[in-house]
Amino acid sequence: MDVKKLTKLSLLTAVALIIFVIELRLPNIVPIPGVKLGLANIVTVYALYNYGIRDTAMICAVRIFLGSLFSGNLMAMLFGFGGSLLCIIGMSLLKKVVTDKYLWLLSIFGAVFHNIGQIAVACAVMQTFAVIGYLPFLIVTGCIAGFFTGMCAQLLILRLKMR
Amino acid sequence: MKKHFVLIIICAAVFIAAAVSSVVMLNAPAGDIVKIKSNGELLYTIDLSNSPDRTIIVEYNGKENTLEIKDHKIRVLEADCPDKVCVNTGWLDSPAIPIICLPNKLIIEFENNDADAAAR
Repeated sequence: MDVKKLTKLSLLTAVALIIFVIELRLPNIVPIPGVKLGLANIVTVYALYNYGIRDTAMICAVRIFLGSLFSGNLMAMLFGFGGSLLCIIGMSLLKKVVTDKYLWLLSIFGAVFHNIGQIAVACAVMQTFAVIGYLPFLIVTGCIAGFFTGMCAQLLILRLKMR
Repeated sequence: MKKHFVLIIICAAVFIAAAVSSVVMLNAPAGDIVKIKSNGELLYTIDLSNSPDRTIIVEYNGKENTLEIKDHKIRVLEADCPDKVCVNTGWLDSPAIPIICLPNKLIIEFENNDADAAAR
């Protein structure tokens, strides 16, 4: 990896972290654990579009690790890793099918995969399947949030391309 | 173009399925028997229909959750976890949505809910 790419990736990580920290300040509307807008996902979609799966995974890993340190919630790190892993794998598989104008689809699927990963980790941590009851709620909110972040990422990618 | 159509259909199907099951779960009738588990281990089984109003303190690794039973309903009154999700969940009113405190590994749920039945 050359210095130029390293700098770009770390810049993206920094952007993702800033978005993540700002989002922490937004009040949670839905009182269900795991429901959030996930604005940092914009960076994930952007990175996945422009770089490979490995680089995106690195950005996400650093972002989750530092993000959970900043928020002081280390449990969030486990859920973040589980969710993001599935999310990145799912999105990189779908990336081959989806064209530029439908990038928001990628993000919706990413959000759903993320929720499934989160619940899987929660099942493992709590050692019960009772948490699966949250999955439908997470998927409904995840689809909406995923559509929003996907639209943001699509606008960003298309406009940066035009220049 | 056709591939996207299929993907959008899948998306819509997942969304509608999740929305429908959310509504079904929210409307599921509440039971009477409540189980309180900490770290996978059953602590209390409470019959809410004839339980007096009281508070219960559950401890895990030095962290405390204060549970309140009032008018035959149960909720987490106070918790010393960082995120307070369990407190914000409010009263336990659906078998599908247990009250969960992830940092303190506490679960409060109605007995015989579907998700648990699947686990057996």
